[in-house]
Amino acid sequence: MRVRRHKNERGFVLIAMSVAMVVMLAVMGLAFDFGRIYIAHNEAQVFTDAAAMAAASKLDGTDAGLDRARQAVAKLPMRWNLGTKSFSGVKVEFSPDKQSWARVTAPDNQVEITFLRAVGGPPTFTVPAHSVAAAKPVRLIE
Amino acid sequence: MRFIGQRRARQRGHAMIELAVSAAVMVSCVAGTVQFGYTFYVYNQLVTAVGNGGRYAAMRTYRAAGSRDIEKGKEAIRNMVVFGDSRPATGVAPQVAYLKPEQVQVDWVMDESGKPAAVNVSIIDYTVDAAFGMFRFTGKPAVEYPFVGRFAPSESEP
Repeated sequence: MRVRRHKNERGFVLIAMSVAMVVMLAVMGLAFDFGRIYIAHNEAQVFTDAAAMAAASKLDGTDAGLDRARQAVAKLPMRWNLGTKSFSGVKVEFSPDKQSWARVTAPDNQVEITFLRAVGGPPTFTVPAHSVAAAKPVRLIE
Repeated sequence: MRFIGQRRARQRGHAMIELAVSAAVMVSCVAGTVQFGYTFYVYNQLVTAVGNGGRYAAMRTYRAAGSRDIEKGKEAIRNMVVFGDSRPATGVAPQVAYLKPEQVQVDWVMDESGKPAAVNVSIIDYTVDAAFGMFRFTGKPAVEYPFVGRFAPSESEP
């Protein structure tokens, strides 16, 4: 009798390990992939904040001002994905009067998913960011 | 009876080996998770701190009566990155664990006419101690903000 019970227990560790492995991958995914997603989002937000400010500071109501604003955004050296990738597809929009505000959107920052893919996650996750800055901000700092 | 006893002993050995193998895998997975999770958490805090400091630097009045005033301005910016306050009270804890003002670098980018055009704020030589390993960040995270504050070449820092 005893012998047979032991026989039935064979393979239990294999099943337990595979279940634990899936759970483990999910936990690692939460820590690693979400960590990277949050960082990418934060980096993109800091970039659009600075870019919107740079663009807005160049506005003067003329088309030349809009060009200078676009150049100022393109010149920013900031990167994302732990400071390794430059931003692509950055969109710069302006107020109709060309002198009130500028809006910068960084739409396609695709973070590659490493661990969550193994438990049914998507291959990439996009973290867009956008900021609006006024050309004449209220000055609160001296 | 002897046969059954032998078999159980053999299985105990199996269980020990299985435990050893699976524990090695599991422990390294947990260690990696803790290490990367904590490092990412700290890096995210650094990105936020540097961004806030950069924004403050961009809006702050640039006073340049002497090199001491410029240095005082940089000190205020470094304090903003580390403590979230340009003039922190003594003994205030930094916003990011163990970050010191010396680990923040502030560089002004001047235009042709000698006015500040932009400001670079970055972290240099900061080490994250994530229990199972260390990560050293130098030169990143970094931000560049355009200077939109008031330029006061003949004023002194208060």
